[in-house]
Amino acid sequence: MHELLQFSLCLLAFNCFALAKFNHYREVFKTRPNEKQSKQFLLAAWISILLSLVLSVVQHNGYGALLFCGYIAVSLLVLMIFYSFKASWVKIMSVLNITVIMLSGLFLSVF
Amino acid sequence: MKENFFRSMTWMHTWVGLLVCWLLYLIFYAGTLSFFRDEITLWNQPALHNVQTTDTRIAQQKSQIIAGVKYLQNVAADSQRWGIYLPTQREPQLNYAYEKPRPEGKRFGGWQEHNIDPSTGQTIAQTRETKGGNFFYRLHFDLHYIDVLTARWIVCLASLFMLVALISGIVIHKRIFKDMFSFRANKGSRSWLDGHNVSSVLALPFHLMITYTGLITLIFMLFPYPAMTAYEDGVRGLFNDVLPTNVRSKSSPESAPLANIEGILDHVYTNWPDADLTQISIRDPNKASATITVRASTGTMLRDQTPTLLFNGVDGSLIAKSATELTNTEVFYDSMTALHTGRLANPLLRWLYFLCGIAGCVMIASGCIMWAKRIRERMKKQQTASFGLKLVEGLNLATLMGLPLATCAFFIANRLLPINVAERADKEILAFFLTWLAVALFALFKRATAQWIQLAWLNAVACIAVVLINALTTDGNIISYLLNGQWALFSVDFLCIIFAGLFVIQAKKIPTRAQPKAQRQSSRRAAKTNLQEQQ
Repeated sequence: MHELLQFSLCLLAFNCFALAKFNHYREVFKTRPNEKQSKQFLLAAWISILLSLVLSVVQHNGYGALLFCGYIAVSLLVLMIFYSFKASWVKIMSVLNITVIMLSGLFLSVF
Repeated sequence: MKENFFRSMTWMHTWVGLLVCWLLYLIFYAGTLSFFRDEITLWNQPALHNVQTTDTRIAQQKSQIIAGVKYLQNVAADSQRWGIYLPTQREPQLNYAYEKPRPEGKRFGGWQEHNIDPSTGQTIAQTRETKGGNFFYRLHFDLHYIDVLTARWIVCLASLFMLVALISGIVIHKRIFKDMFSFRANKGSRSWLDGHNVSSVLALPFHLMITYTGLITLIFMLFPYPAMTAYEDGVRGLFNDVLPTNVRSKSSPESAPLANIEGILDHVYTNWPDADLTQISIRDPNKASATITVRASTGTMLRDQTPTLLFNGVDGSLIAKSATELTNTEVFYDSMTALHTGRLANPLLRWLYFLCGIAGCVMIASGCIMWAKRIRERMKKQQTASFGLKLVEGLNLATLMGLPLATCAFFIANRLLPINVAERADKEILAFFLTWLAVALFALFKRATAQWIQLAWLNAVACIAVVLINALTTDGNIISYLLNGQWALFSVDFLCIIFAGLFVIQAKKIPTRAQPKAQRQSSRRAAKTNLQEQQ
């Protein structure tokens, strides 16, 4: 469950990095992002990626840093596939991603 | 010299990459498979498929070692080396081995192995002679059929070229963050460039790490001079100093009874109360020069050198112990080696390593294909291909499509060769290289799109054949592996099916007819734009 949360945060971070870009935002929402939205996405991305890294390292030390690099690779691969072939599914994927983060976070905080 | 920095870097990236890309592909390919070395070895040994790891694995170790010494004392009292390999999560069988008599002029006589199912204590019959995943592991840095030292120098040079190509690639990729998620399909060489960029960027930390640490693992071969200055016997002296447990004493012909193994194990468990032991090696048993080496697992620690204790095999006294506190230099070297080998990885990290390794293969493959594609796109209608272009296209086809086919041949040979055939392991390897040679000869004569499609279909059929032949020649199959939770075996079969699917997609996606003129022009324009962007 720890690993799922760390990976989901990493995926969310790179999704936010992608949505902060004009072309990817337009592909998903069919409108232009304003500067404020782009900055908000960037802020969310940085918080999320740092959280993912911190959680990985706190739990596994050096080994966690390695896992984190792996999460980056998988996240980029998943996002590349969605943005290149199924941009319309990004919204659903994002909702699922946030749900997984909340559920795994809740699970870890309760148990 | 090119006129500006970016052009120089682009030129360097192209040529440094192209010169060694086929060798790098082999190194990456074999290295990626090596992350599942134990799993491949298990798949290659059907007799071990039903051996399960027990919950009391660590608790059983002491009795397994005592029984092992007793067994080896009975069957191979005169042997020069004994080995007791304890079950691990990835290798569930218990293995007692001894060295067979050395033929004249040889330094090693080969192992005679005796496998035991740890849950039943029964001997496992009919294990087949195979190199399994160790073949790919050795191929990764020792290559094959050439002298080991020469091979390592070649591999090191290729790695150095790779490192230069990676760094120059980062420098010339101006839109590294903008294009991070972009892959534009069906756009000629633009798509190949996107594929090359995406596969490079998504695992960039891994590519840098694995290339750099690869060089570090062989640094003492590349750069032995500091050790040669400080020690009379050079690198050997350095290692004897840093790793006292590796020091070898001269063999003595004088007989002497072997020390009581229980006393030695008491000493081991006093030093390491919760130890997860992996192997016991006994050199010169029943001789005055006998030594007993006990090794424990490093678990998921970023360490490559296993905790080791070296005992005198006659009086049972402790001769040497691996250091618990390492100097900064030792930590650096050891952790770099551990990062490269990935032996520390649990299944999740192992799969991530594997995925990144595949990304590396795609990066190299797309790079060498893109070079040939661009030259072809720039050629005029009546122009004939140069020797260089033909050579690159031929090597691309032979390497990129030949290696997967050769791997399937290796697995199929493992199942179809008679179990008792002489030098069986070498014959499996021969099947690998003969298949690769056949593809290379095929590519020598024809290397057009049609040949890519034919080989893609052949690879797809071969991948499926591996799964089917396994099901027909052993007790298990992919479904039974899934139902019984035999994940290592399931993964091998499942990956074969996945790759078969990918080869089918490849065969169907390669355009069979000449592209319409408009499309050809657009891809030419795209290629030109790419070149300008890169410059």
